[in-house]
Amino acid sequence: MAGLLAKERIVARPGFNRWLVPPAALAIHLSIGVAYGFSVFWLPLSRAVGVPCPEGMGFLERMVTAACDWKVSDLGWMYTLFFVFLGSSAAVFGSWLERVGPRKAGVVAAVCWGGGFMISALGVYLHQLWLLWLGSGVIGGCGLGLGYISPVSTLIKWFPDRRGMATGMAIMGFGGGAMIGAPLADILIKRFASPTSVGVWETFVVLGAVYFVAMLCGAFGYRLPPEGWRPAGWTPPAKQGGMITTRNVHVNEAWRTPQFWLLWGLLCLNVSAGIGVIGMASPMIQEVFGGRLIGASALSFAELSEAQRAELATIGAAFAALLSVFNILGRIGWASLSDYLGRKRTYTVFFTLGVVLYAAAPSAGRLGSVALFVAIFCVILTMYGGGFATIPAYLADMFGTKYVGAIHGRLLTAWSTAGVLGPVLVNYIREYQLARGVPNAQAYNLTMYILAGLLVLGLVCNLLVRPVAERHFMREEGTA
Amino acid sequence: MSAPTNAPTPEAPRPSRASWVLVVVAWILVGVPLLWGVYTTLQKAAVLLR
Repeated sequence: MAGLLAKERIVARPGFNRWLVPPAALAIHLSIGVAYGFSVFWLPLSRAVGVPCPEGMGFLERMVTAACDWKVSDLGWMYTLFFVFLGSSAAVFGSWLERVGPRKAGVVAAVCWGGGFMISALGVYLHQLWLLWLGSGVIGGCGLGLGYISPVSTLIKWFPDRRGMATGMAIMGFGGGAMIGAPLADILIKRFASPTSVGVWETFVVLGAVYFVAMLCGAFGYRLPPEGWRPAGWTPPAKQGGMITTRNVHVNEAWRTPQFWLLWGLLCLNVSAGIGVIGMASPMIQEVFGGRLIGASALSFAELSEAQRAELATIGAAFAALLSVFNILGRIGWASLSDYLGRKRTYTVFFTLGVVLYAAAPSAGRLGSVALFVAIFCVILTMYGGGFATIPAYLADMFGTKYVGAIHGRLLTAWSTAGVLGPVLVNYIREYQLARGVPNAQAYNLTMYILAGLLVLGLVCNLLVRPVAERHFMREEGTA
Repeated sequence: MSAPTNAPTPEAPRPSRASWVLVVVAWILVGVPLLWGVYTTLQKAAVLLR
């Protein structure tokens, strides 16, 4: 079995078709991408017992009690665990991945992600919150990190002529995973629901098995190009303003360069702003436009009845759904475009256009233009997704392809940071505004201007990126 | 998007026709669930257009 997973065993034979590698990567990314859709489990899980926990029950007691229901806020910690363990495992195991190859990493990711679902199923069955966090959050989170970075360097090596498009195809899957997983989970929960069960542990078992198999198929589909392979008729560009190197920087050297930290900063800032918007999209459109969304223009959000608010909530969910589509379109679209524009220019577009759009959003709200408001956020979400999908190619351009998977893994700690920073920032500013007596409809304005400020900082980081200094490159070249 | 032909080494054969069949099958396996997900999501988002 170990031999079957060995790096040496997966070097492609002559005649191998490189277009088989992106679907293998997609199989893994579509499987782990369901992490974004985990909120579909919160409601049924929060009423699994049918008895609310008494107010003032301590944190540790809530983790082990089987006598009363979990709070949605406690379940929501899963997202924090996902982000933290995704980034940490990618950073820690990135070098190991480069050493053992993508297939072994993909298989370990499948075991962690699928196994995490099984442990979570046990946690739900026994009603132990800590098991749920350990299974999906910690062990599953490690599977997320390994699965996410597993195809990156392989794809870049197979598609040196279209690095952005290749990684964009895989990372698009991470955005699309929730689109498949969330409705599928919803169907399964309804199918398994019974008088004695809310249907979640059974759903976890089925999903765990399905994702395990899908990820194994992906991992076994990985092939590495032979040393020195390049697409027929393609020659590496001799010099493109020095921003694309043909040499390599070791992973342990890369993080000592200013370029690494500038890219870390721009990813963190771009993601913080985007996550902030995703988290508040649904309440924002409801509170900004209030009755206008349901043909009662004269009524603000606070003046609406319960039934009208329920109608608005459906529209809020529709807005969030639309944004998720633009998120994945941005991943493949911007990443592919970056092959022609260049990575630095692409991020310059993200940040400059982003600043304009974030700053314009409050005006669209004041004008009462729902269409303009929606359009602004759709474009913003393409750039959020595009930021994720373009960064591996940016890293390969700067540091070479040899260690790009491991370097990308370390850079993903920026995502973990943003996963905490973005929502905290947005929620804190909103609460602060409301406490000062700002009306609901205007409570997001300051947030938008602050997020635009984050993007200005991101733009500065991007503009400061220069070619890596000569001393950081490896002496012995072994470019794949 | 056009797919540049690839050759593992300068002398190696180009991908066979059969390999392109495999490519199509692999893309269908991942593409169909993804398209179903996008379709389901767009259906949900259609409320915005009413």
